Amino acid sequence: MKSEHRDMIYKDCEQVTANSVHLLSALRGQCILITGGTGFVGTWLAEMITFLNDNHDFNTQLILLSGRANNFSAKAPHLADRNDITLIESDIRNVVDIPNEVEWIIHAAGNPDNRLHASDPLRTIQVIVKGTDTILEVATRLPDLKKFLNISSGLVYGSQPWELETIPESFMGSLNCDSIRSAYAEAKRMGETLCAVYRNQHRLPVVNARPFAFIGPYQLLDRPWAINNFIRDSLLGGPIRILGDGETVRSYMYPSDMAWWLLRILVQGTVGASYNVGSPHGVTLQKLAKKIAGHSPVKSEILSGLSSDRSLGRSKFIPDVRLAKNALDLCINVDLDSAIKRTIVWNRNYC
Amino acid sequence: MISNILISDPTLRDGSHAVSHQLNAHQIASYTAAADAAGIPIVEVGHGNGLGASSLQIGESLLDDTTILKIARENLIHSKLGIHVMPGIATINKDLKKALSMGVDVFRVACHCTEADITQRHISFIRNKGKEVYGVLMMNHMAPKDVLVEEAYKMQSYGADGVLLYDSAGASIPSDVKEKIELLVKSLEIQVGYHAHNNLGLAIANSITAVQAGATILDGTVRGFGAGAGNAQLEVLVPVLEKMGYSTGVDFYKLLDLSDFAERELMKVVPSIKPDSVCSALAGIFSGFSKHVQRISKEYGVDSRDVWFELGRRKIVAGQEDIIIEVAVKLAAEGGKGQ
Repeated sequence: MKSEHRDMIYKDCEQVTANSVHLLSALRGQCILITGGTGFVGTWLAEMITFLNDNHDFNTQLILLSGRANNFSAKAPHLADRNDITLIESDIRNVVDIPNEVEWIIHAAGNPDNRLHASDPLRTIQVIVKGTDTILEVATRLPDLKKFLNISSGLVYGSQPWELETIPESFMGSLNCDSIRSAYAEAKRMGETLCAVYRNQHRLPVVNARPFAFIGPYQLLDRPWAINNFIRDSLLGGPIRILGDGETVRSYMYPSDMAWWLLRILVQGTVGASYNVGSPHGVTLQKLAKKIAGHSPVKSEILSGLSSDRSLGRSKFIPDVRLAKNALDLCINVDLDSAIKRTIVWNRNYC
Repeated sequence: MISNILISDPTLRDGSHAVSHQLNAHQIASYTAAADAAGIPIVEVGHGNGLGASSLQIGESLLDDTTILKIARENLIHSKLGIHVMPGIATINKDLKKALSMGVDVFRVACHCTEADITQRHISFIRNKGKEVYGVLMMNHMAPKDVLVEEAYKMQSYGADGVLLYDSAGASIPSDVKEKIELLVKSLEIQVGYHAHNNLGLAIANSITAVQAGATILDGTVRGFGAGAGNAQLEVLVPVLEKMGYSTGVDFYKLLDLSDFAERELMKVVPSIKPDSVCSALAGIFSGFSKHVQRISKEYGVDSRDVWFELGRRKIVAGQEDIIIEVAVKLAAEGGKGQ
């Protein structure tokens, strides 16, 4: 990894932890296991924990469990080679045992790539449902488990009604359970139900996080999401193509905020509660494309795939984060413009 | 407000079937230059079965892909250069990278209507290069609307700019088109398009029905030059759309001139609806089988109409041409009579 990238991550972690490090003191000298530990979420959590170890003497041990742990050295050698990180290569569905010293678990396994969900919905469901059941079962045998954070998804709510400004955690959802398009979301819902059952039957201290959308370092630009594609298109010289309706509304959180929020929910979240994780500041895809074109080093034209009189698939996906704000005093430290600028810098050699 | 319909012209690609892929350099250069002058937004070129398809089995092209793309690229100034791609025939390393380097603007990645999974790598690769890429569900009459939506959704998730239904066998009637396009438009977040064949004389009607159901992309070829009974006739389709209040951006007079030129310079025979075309459509078999069916039926002394309907009963699709012989042998053994 380039030193400028490492510097960027360092500054990101420094920004979100400023004057607040004491709020994660419960993790000092502890051992945390992260499933899906080498993915986007896991890597950012590892960056944040190692930042705390290096700069605030946390002395926290991390175990990253992943089906692709052996590839982590190529992705993040500065993390893979550290003494405070242990890599375990295993399919989440086949985990039999984890070290007894694990005191905190963050269950982040499950690929959010909707290309995989479309092509292989059975595998998508099995990894999430069987994987969640497996890791919960294993967790019941730990002697000193303090908290289990289940990384669910904002997609458990289904389609956000257009008239609903933001989605609160209490929204009951609107999923169509007999569609293959619901495979990921329904599996995540089942994952949350499994967590509730283990909390009840086994008294596991489980808390849920429901992530929405993110943009920043470590997120691959070939992922099939609007903002990733817009940034990639702009770095390729454009045009930036809006495939769906330009009035569709999304919101994006920068990953250092995401990592900070998740660790705070792990430590201070109420057992049994679910917290939305994301930005409450919506932006239309049209405005988003303009922002990206404005920040890109390459001048890019913006093209809309639809005529102006069409409104196909106009949708909205924005979390209500008042619970995180009011209960845990969490806020957005990195605004969308900064997130876009940093993502462009991170990826500027993309081609 | 006037709606724009994106017109794509596969005369040189689908018409390639009609002349056994024997279009020469002069024909390609002249046609692409004239189509560009007529303001046709996308001009598709290549072997009838797309990039990398020239082969003994499918039919050898007079010109290789590189030559065809080079000629077309030189002559398309304003129009976009499009190609047809079928995973399994065209590969990423051998064919797509070459096409990208030669300046192809629009890629159509096609598969049988129930096999969208096989398009993932091709669509994602092209999308990640920042180019326009559309998913194509061929032989769409063979799948119900719900299945088509699920397959189209896969293509959308892979990054396709739009999804087109191809009526490869010319087997659809307007009510089929209406219900399928309406559901696709309702279910997808990207554009939907339609590619008609005229085996039952319904290519224009089906195309118009598709637009009324919400499609925003239509294919048409001059004089209907294409496989079997041909496609939606472009010089008819464009004025009909304009008369209905849609905008295409195509220059009508130049389009008429283009169609005269194409009849004179490209076609040995202008496509027409022959009994063979009707039988293939009713059987639901791709018109591209026509020459094989005629030849093999004659060789084995069986009625080609019986061959078509037996192939239809077996739900044969492109790539299974060998079964024509199996069917002919069976019919011959039964005394030359079908069921």
